[in-house]
Amino acid sequence: MAFYRGQEGSVKFDDAGTTAAAITSTRAWTLSVEKEALDTTTLGDTYRANIGGLISGSGTVELLYTASSADETNVFIERVNTANDDGTALFELYLYSTTKKITFDGVITSAEYSATVGEIEVITCNFVTNGAITLDI
Amino acid sequence: MAAANLNTIRATIEGRLATELAASPVLPVVFHNMPYTPTPNSSWVQCQVGFGTNEYLTMGSTSGASNNIIGIAVINVFTPAGVGSGANFTIAKRIRDLYNRINVSGVHFDPPIGPEVVASPAPEGYFQTQVRLTFETFEDL
Repeated sequence: MAFYRGQEGSVKFDDAGTTAAAITSTRAWTLSVEKEALDTTTLGDTYRANIGGLISGSGTVELLYTASSADETNVFIERVNTANDDGTALFELYLYSTTKKITFDGVITSAEYSATVGEIEVITCNFVTNGAITLDI
Repeated sequence: MAAANLNTIRATIEGRLATELAASPVLPVVFHNMPYTPTPNSSWVQCQVGFGTNEYLTMGSTSGASNNIIGIAVINVFTPAGVGSGANFTIAKRIRDLYNRINVSGVHFDPPIGPEVVASPAPEGYFQTQVRLTFETFEDL
């Protein structure tokens, strides 16, 4: 049985939505996938009944600031400030290797830039998914 | 990118001190694993560089990833006993100013600790203080 540690993960991104490239200096990512529950309980039922509804996702990517501009990293951290975002930016969140990934289109909804004396500068970007979420894990 | 060469980092730190103490007023400086017999009633400096915690800095395996390497340089300043602390603190200030919050070849130094007076000097017969310099550097694999 194999187990994996966080450093084996990674994040790729492409604002054009075609070929995702690595986001350098990624420290952590999270994705929460949620499905709405639709109540189908009827009069006379003893137990509440539910069926699945719409699925959505949201999460965060935390990275260290490196002043990098040679890849998608700079695009990623500035994406929140882009007007007319059509939600087609491609996200690939890797759990392991280059195959075990979660893929979706999404919108970066917020970015927190921070600098603290004596600490490495950190940027945290929050996103929501747009459309299908593909789990190849 | 390549794994960090700790010997290069050590040499960077030691070289900076050696250059400073070779300037007037010149002071002998001795490093780790070097024989030295101090002259009685003289002033001299001992520098010991060591590495401690290494931490994950970013995601990635053995390539495209970064680690954080933390270390400390312990610098002992010896001056003649029985003549006050002024001469010792003057040397300590030289050392402190040499590393205070600077970035040398990617080695980031924190604000120095000390000079702290050492109650039991080793070797005996000197007034000893200690300046400790914590530092960190980043390894890109």
